[in-house]
Amino acid sequence: MKELSLTKLYSLVGFDPNDNQKKAITTIDGPLFLTAGPGSGKTRVLLWRTLNLIVFHKVKPEDIFLSTFTEKAAYQLQEGLKSLLGIVTNENNIPYDISKMSIGTVHSICQKIISDRRFIDSDTRKPPPIVMDELAQYFHFYRTRNWDKYITEAGFKDHEDANRTINEFLTGKNHYSRHNAVKNSIDLFNRFSEECLDISKVKSKDKDLKKLLKMYGLYLEDLNRERIKSVDFALLQQAAYETIISSKNSKNIFKHIIIDEYQDTNTIQEMIFFELAKGAKNICVVGDDDQALYRFRGATVENLVEFKERCRRYLRTEPKTINLDKNYRSREHIVKFYGEFINRIDWKKTKGKGHHRLVDKKIHAHRTGKEPAVIVSEHANAAAVYSEIAEFVQQLKTSGKIEDYSQVAFLFPSIKNSARVAGFKLAFEELDIPVYAPRAGRFLEVDEARLIFGLFLKILGKPKHDHHASSGLRQFQNWMNNCLDDADEVISEDEGLKQFIKDKKAEIETVCNDFLLLTKTINKKKWDLMMPFKKEMARTLASTHGLSVKAVKNLTNKFFENTIEKRFKIGRPFTLKYILNRTSSLDWSILDLFYQLNGFKVFRDMYQLAQSGTDEGPICNLGLITQYLSRFMELYGPVITGQFLNEDKYINTFFSSYSYALFRLGESEYENADDPFPKGRVPFLTIHQAKGLEFPIVVMGSLFKQDRGPSKREEIIRELLQKEGEPLDRIEEFDMMRMFYVALSRAKELLILPRYTKGKAANEVFKDVINNDGLSTISDFKLKQLPKSPLIQDDLGKTYSYTADYLNYLKCPRSYMIFRKYGFVPSRSQTMFFGSLVHKTIEDLHLYLIRQRLAGENK
Amino acid sequence: MSESIINKIENFFEENFELLKLESGHSITEDVKTEALNQVLYYWKKMGDVAKKVTETEVKLTLPNLKTPKKRTFTIEGVVDIVREDDEVWMYDIKTHDPDLIKSNTDFYEKQLNVYSYIWQNLRQNQLDHTAIISTAYPSTLKEALRSGNLSLIEKELEKWDPLIEIPHKSQNVVDTIKDFGKIVDDIEDNEFEPATVDTLKQPVEGTRTLFATRVCRNCDARYSCTSFREYAASGKSRTSYRKYFEDYLTDSDKEEWVNSNLDLDKINQD
Repeated sequence: MKELSLTKLYSLVGFDPNDNQKKAITTIDGPLFLTAGPGSGKTRVLLWRTLNLIVFHKVKPEDIFLSTFTEKAAYQLQEGLKSLLGIVTNENNIPYDISKMSIGTVHSICQKIISDRRFIDSDTRKPPPIVMDELAQYFHFYRTRNWDKYITEAGFKDHEDANRTINEFLTGKNHYSRHNAVKNSIDLFNRFSEECLDISKVKSKDKDLKKLLKMYGLYLEDLNRERIKSVDFALLQQAAYETIISSKNSKNIFKHIIIDEYQDTNTIQEMIFFELAKGAKNICVVGDDDQALYRFRGATVENLVEFKERCRRYLRTEPKTINLDKNYRSREHIVKFYGEFINRIDWKKTKGKGHHRLVDKKIHAHRTGKEPAVIVSEHANAAAVYSEIAEFVQQLKTSGKIEDYSQVAFLFPSIKNSARVAGFKLAFEELDIPVYAPRAGRFLEVDEARLIFGLFLKILGKPKHDHHASSGLRQFQNWMNNCLDDADEVISEDEGLKQFIKDKKAEIETVCNDFLLLTKTINKKKWDLMMPFKKEMARTLASTHGLSVKAVKNLTNKFFENTIEKRFKIGRPFTLKYILNRTSSLDWSILDLFYQLNGFKVFRDMYQLAQSGTDEGPICNLGLITQYLSRFMELYGPVITGQFLNEDKYINTFFSSYSYALFRLGESEYENADDPFPKGRVPFLTIHQAKGLEFPIVVMGSLFKQDRGPSKREEIIRELLQKEGEPLDRIEEFDMMRMFYVALSRAKELLILPRYTKGKAANEVFKDVINNDGLSTISDFKLKQLPKSPLIQDDLGKTYSYTADYLNYLKCPRSYMIFRKYGFVPSRSQTMFFGSLVHKTIEDLHLYLIRQRLAGENK
Repeated sequence: MSESIINKIENFFEENFELLKLESGHSITEDVKTEALNQVLYYWKKMGDVAKKVTETEVKLTLPNLKTPKKRTFTIEGVVDIVREDDEVWMYDIKTHDPDLIKSNTDFYEKQLNVYSYIWQNLRQNQLDHTAIISTAYPSTLKEALRSGNLSLIEKELEKWDPLIEIPHKSQNVVDTIKDFGKIVDDIEDNEFEPATVDTLKQPVEGTRTLFATRVCRNCDARYSCTSFREYAASGKSRTSYRKYFEDYLTDSDKEEWVNSNLDLDKINQD
């Protein structure tokens, strides 16, 4: 075997690490604190450090915990590591397999830990909880049934009282909006969960807060009631923590804990990390406090800023610190600009010593040079600035400085309903340059959604709203009208579709009619709906005058009679109510209806576009619609019964409640995680979306972020838990600085800042920019000073499953595309359900037998 | 021991049933559920000796750093169960397909298991002596016996039934399979997604007597918008009549079964 060393491997891949990077890669014992400024090559360092552990220190991949912030970053780490290890294998012929490594987001690793056998001491197996995503959590609260219960038991008078009180208490705005009240409550409850708040141990004198605490308690009870528990994302982490502390082994399972983006971790995550690290004490954290962005999701930047002290407290050891402070990304002017920017405010603590940020790290540019790389627009009204910048971008392309419009990113503090976004979009439209702004619009406003919902409205009917409509509701009503217009246009061109709608409406009418007729018979007989159903009753029901042929057949067929008898014999008879519903049900679900509608030309054309690889936009959106429909069915069951349809109950639930909530949530358009920035379009992103990314050219869409004052949530947590932290009155300012710091540091070659004269032109801290203290303007800027940016395509490689990808594709490429690639939710998947049920149970049996055997051997 | 294991299986089964119901948002009928449980119980009855010796379950096998004909990098991934027994090592893939289908299609399964064993042996440098498929579905003769209700016949067929189907493992065709896999990866990345052809739809699925259109398409919700299926349905070869807009292709009993499995009164009518 050839002698292998890190140095040799570096040279093989052309990596020339600086001294601190080398030190970070080879420092593997004890806690390690890596501060990593923008563009300092930290991902590379993490990859090489992990490689060093596996290849040169014989650490088993399954003994490594490596987490980062997004699925995408985790995927890049995983594939990057696979490919580096592949290079090692080529050299030393030793295969490496990282499939058992815990690599992913903190949430995904938590989910793994819960069912990781290494954490289970005995045979007592608890079924893993069901994880509710954000939307599922939202609907859990939003559902009238649950919301009613929560607010009543918490002591609110009615919806009006509850919604107004909660909104006023948490945001200072006295709104009557259930949507807002639900959102605000969830944000608070998730924070409670992330802080591991124990409601039995906290006290509050505030009458509103008391009610919210009560609601939180009821929510937790609800999730724990069923045989299989549910958890939201915040509680998933608590569940993992509980698994960890209830296992004797837990502190020795991972020999190395590595956490990227440490500035955006929260309290419960910190508890998990240190608990896991108790044994080996090898915890390495990487991050940059100046890039902390996620306080609104419970992140506490103090985890990073005070890491040294926390190590002392949890592990009784001092961490080593290494600063990765050389920036490889941006030209020197950009690095200097944001370096100065972050120091424009005072970070000194008013109480005690020190600062609220790590002040002793200084970022140096690797790419030195005196050329200007930060430039400004004219100081002019917004429309003029939009055009000036758009035209400049066009010039960048025509002059060949960039190869593709996707190399220029426009960054905004927020995108939804932003006048700046709309303005720039218009400016680009005038130049015929397409933009890509996935989060700018509501998903329900895309063409495909409008058409599908329009056809649903045609078939099911439009809900009536008689009472006064809020502005949100008026918008929704407008949307429904637009949907109907779109549908009408398509129907007028498709005779078959027209007939289809007519037939479906007739089916609905029949079912409703059957329900009413049967109810009449039942009432006449004075039968109780909950009484056990006897065979004789079927005859009485079937003889109801005017009942549809289908319903009669349903009640009188032999199979039905046998089933009734069988159920009677085993002592589990059906109730009359069940039979009533079963007899008057549609035999299709809303999702079936969707798939059938897709058989008409207008939709078939969309599939055709995707099948031939021409345009995947429409089909992506159709796929997303199936996910929303399937979620509706999860909440309300798939079967549409006459009773559900009666008195407009179904359309009120589906449109006025469910779809309206989606509308208010403004769930955004489909985004392709693999390829987030389609070629040929200028991407418009929020600064949060741009986290971890870089672009040759960055345009700041706005230099203004509203100061909303200290967050009530933060105040509540501090009071309930007696916690210290950044001063409440400065949090908004700190967060604003960090957010813009992230934005400014995304640019590689050129950073462009707008100077608006009117409106909310810029935060105070950008005053110098507006007055233009020494920056070149776009018109003065000489293009020859800008280096060319080639379009970089990364080929990370993807993982394909033999069965789910290869075999499925071979069976039918189209079905593969629809269900696997674009994530359509199948409507009828009995075979899949069956297969998974058998497989899962056999797997459980095997696991059980393995444990039994091991236990026997140990004895 | 056996008694308590049957209890365990029933517990696992109920839990998984609830879990899948929650995850998928729909359900299966009592009959189908019973059949699923029976498959697992029969697996335990017939294959208990193997099950007891399983050393690793759901082993993820990966083959990284492969190149497609168009030079894309990709990784192949698969999942198997491993049994180490005295001095022999077996690799199993458990399938719910029926054994007749597998037996008449061994080529197909051979390819898959050969890739897995290649990873297991060459990449992980592990011993491997046998590869096999365990088919949990009843063979057709047993199905018929069950339907007849004839106890002695059932007994006889059960005795005869061997869920374990050994697949010869040889490494020669692995290279071809991986090459073909790479070609498919290129097709996927190049967005080539035309449906199976009308001719394929009209042919029986290999190893069965049912047509592709019945066995595969009928279970596919996207058939209404599928050019191949529409052409097949319009061609009149299908047994049911072509309707006004498109072939619906669900029988009345299918529809009834769907309502029976999914009607959940707790969910509706309460909001």
